[in-house]
Amino acid sequence: MTGFLLRRLLGIAGTLLVICALTFAVFYLLPSDPAAQFCGKDCSADRIVMVRQQMGLDDPLIVQFGRYVLGIFAGQTLGSGQYAVHCGFPCFGYSFQSGQPVWDLMLDRLPASASLALGAAVLWLLLGLSAGLLSALRRNTWVDRTVMVATIGIAALPVYFTAMLLLYVVVTVLGLMPYPRYIAFGEDPVGWIRNLILPWITLALTFAAIYARMTRNSVIETMAEPYVRTARAKGLRERRVVGRHGLRPALTPVATMLGMDLGGLLAGALITESLFSLPGVGKLFADSLNKADQPVIMGITLLASFFIVTSNLVVDLVYAWIDPRARLT
Amino acid sequence: MTRRTHTALAAAIAAALTLGLGACGSTGTGGGEDQGRQGVTTEGDGIIGGTPVRGGTLNILSNVDFDQLDPARNWTMPVMDVGVRMLYRTLTTFKAAPGAEGLKIEPDLATDLGTPSDGARTWTFHLKDGLKYEDGTPIVADDIKYNVERSFSPELPGGPDYARVYLNAPAGYQGPLNGERLGKEAIEVPDEKTIVFHLKRPVAEFGYTVTLPTFAPVPRAKETGVNYSNHPVSSGPYRIESYDRGKRMVLVRNTYWDEKTDPVRKAYPDRIVVDQTLKGTGVADRLIADQGDDRDAVSYIDLVPAKISDVLTAPAVKKRLVSENAGCTTKLDMNTTKAPFDNAQVRLAMQYAVDKEAFADTMGGPAFTDVATTYLPPALTGGTAVDHFRIPPAGDQAKAKALLTEAGFGSGFSTELLTSTGGRQQAEAIQAALKKLGINVTITTVDPTAVASIVGDKDKQPGLSIGGWCPDYPSAATFLPMIFDGRTIKDKGNQGDITRFDDPGVNAELDRIATLTDLTQADRAWLALDAKIMDKSPAVPLVWQKKPLLVGSNIAGAFAHPVWSGQLDYAVIGLKSVK
Repeated sequence: MTGFLLRRLLGIAGTLLVICALTFAVFYLLPSDPAAQFCGKDCSADRIVMVRQQMGLDDPLIVQFGRYVLGIFAGQTLGSGQYAVHCGFPCFGYSFQSGQPVWDLMLDRLPASASLALGAAVLWLLLGLSAGLLSALRRNTWVDRTVMVATIGIAALPVYFTAMLLLYVVVTVLGLMPYPRYIAFGEDPVGWIRNLILPWITLALTFAAIYARMTRNSVIETMAEPYVRTARAKGLRERRVVGRHGLRPALTPVATMLGMDLGGLLAGALITESLFSLPGVGKLFADSLNKADQPVIMGITLLASFFIVTSNLVVDLVYAWIDPRARLT
Repeated sequence: MTRRTHTALAAAIAAALTLGLGACGSTGTGGGEDQGRQGVTTEGDGIIGGTPVRGGTLNILSNVDFDQLDPARNWTMPVMDVGVRMLYRTLTTFKAAPGAEGLKIEPDLATDLGTPSDGARTWTFHLKDGLKYEDGTPIVADDIKYNVERSFSPELPGGPDYARVYLNAPAGYQGPLNGERLGKEAIEVPDEKTIVFHLKRPVAEFGYTVTLPTFAPVPRAKETGVNYSNHPVSSGPYRIESYDRGKRMVLVRNTYWDEKTDPVRKAYPDRIVVDQTLKGTGVADRLIADQGDDRDAVSYIDLVPAKISDVLTAPAVKKRLVSENAGCTTKLDMNTTKAPFDNAQVRLAMQYAVDKEAFADTMGGPAFTDVATTYLPPALTGGTAVDHFRIPPAGDQAKAKALLTEAGFGSGFSTELLTSTGGRQQAEAIQAALKKLGINVTITTVDPTAVASIVGDKDKQPGLSIGGWCPDYPSAATFLPMIFDGRTIKDKGNQGDITRFDDPGVNAELDRIATLTDLTQADRAWLALDAKIMDKSPAVPLVWQKKPLLVGSNIAGAFAHPVWSGQLDYAVIGLKSVK
């Protein structure tokens, strides 16, 4: 187990380093010049040189990359003299735009993204698992066919369409709730739920449809396994057969999928956050792209990668718990 | 320099141009023969809701963080409006009024509009009594000097460069953050209330230059370097209570601001809340619906084109639309160093070939744009558009064909047009019009952040690109020299003179006008030069974009200010009634 964890953690570090290098190279290859952009209108060539130097963009790529990676652990200093600011571990540099540490910016936006992702995940698991299970247990009946046709339809709906439809019907036409805005859970738990319901539904519908189909197939497959027949032959009640012997092993692919999806969403559901004006990591990413704020884009890319590779590790650990056949070696 | 009265100085740019319209011999009203394209403008007298009451909370709905609120770095519209009208005061500032009246300046921190001497190479300003920051400490002349010095710092880039261009500062000066201050040869501060600027050359309109946020005070003791943007110390009517960048900013009254010292700002609301987390359509939907606190809200961002019909077809909503010319010219830049655009006859043909109406339609039509008929926007030509060639907005293909034939390109040619990813539709409108003349345009779209560096690189710059320019204050001196002075051209990183137009006659005239100390004479000369450059056609003026902004039904004193690119003037906006 310890060896497994060590190997995986090393793998995660290596993956993140490669992603970091690739992202750095992509920025280097882009024709845009952040120094010229931040220098202002009609900036003289001399001044662009000074600004580039100040932003640390005048060094060779490898030096900039080394400084960035080292800075994550050892920290970085922005500016010089008595007005210089320093950020400690983990330091992903400073936003070109605001001068704020990227880590602080991401931490500040993480609650909104986590609220959206976790709430939506609960909803899509409830909807997806129950619909998939129902469909599997009523295989080839009208219930199964209705659920499956509905999931195809829902899965085909783009997020922006669902969001705009919900906003139009629920907010504009029916006036059931005000235009959503993010309220922190600690500030007003009821307001938090009320304002996140529509984003949760929007995000959950698409995922629920996919999870329903996956659960159905997985449960059907599992229920055909010999050990399920054995369980039935032993005279166990059908509820116990399905719950203990059928559903639990059928959940392993669902858990894999959930880990990946949650990992990706924690670093920001860009479209949903933008559509519902949620100040999450995804919105920060979109805003930073518009401003070519390279350190923030780099930081969020690494954060997203970290969540995805880490969730993979968590999924592997959960596997062993769900399905005793899986062993961590 | 001839010493003029302040009134004459203030009125010169705004009003005298009307007299000078005949100077270029090719003037007229905007829109030419197409009066049917009169666009949507603010109803009534241009001011929505009458005079506001004092108190209440004004909500500003936005989808974007302010670029920089640090006064040394604030050089984007409408962030300058936010900074200068609410948070900090400058030596002089613009009147709070729509139309030509808003182009006039008033003393702000200074007691007057400045006293020029030494042929307008030296400008002296005296500060008013009783000026204080948000913490009650007095504002002194050295604080203004200090902020001007900050604008030289490479650590604080992006701000107006007028101090760097005009001041007699030593070459290579890098600002005060490392303790180095400018000497008396550049700025003198003989006492706490007097500041004297020494310029490299005469600048007759320096009274206008000091409206820029560079000339706002920054207390040295409160310097925070790159973080100053996150909490600039207020010298204006409001101070920052909280600013969560990209999310929300709350402004409350600066109790040390004395309205008796401020002839312009009225500061009606008690509190101003800026929500930066919204989406363009969300802002429009909320203001169209006009419910609850949104009745006390204004839009910071342009009305999205998708919602314009919802506004125009609902009279009650349309009454709440502020829509005026933003004062910027969008133009089709031709690379004058690249064939066939090195041929002036071909460039002239392009003026006739482009269908500006179709181009404008891709940007929302008359509700969002006016067809541009010369380089200088109406705010720089006395409020009335100059129509140099009197070409129909849809172009004159026959005339264009004739000119191309004369130039030896009767059968057309091929070229490339570069624009940002969001500009494809506009590029296609140009492509379609030129196709009719056998001009094959290949469109290349790139990320918006990459456009400037490609267009600014001599080796990569294509034949055509779409660009624009906005004046920094209502003077052609902040327009024509910036985009048509051939001596500023750089092989790489070329920014202003994108067309690489380098005409010795034009350059000489730019220098001559810069030395004119009579602003009326200078204004006439700018108009004549604008016409001269139009004849040489390095670029085709396309549209003057409008700024459509929706406000809630309880908003009063809302109007588009000509200097802030048509943005609402935050100096005098407020609520009709307070709960």
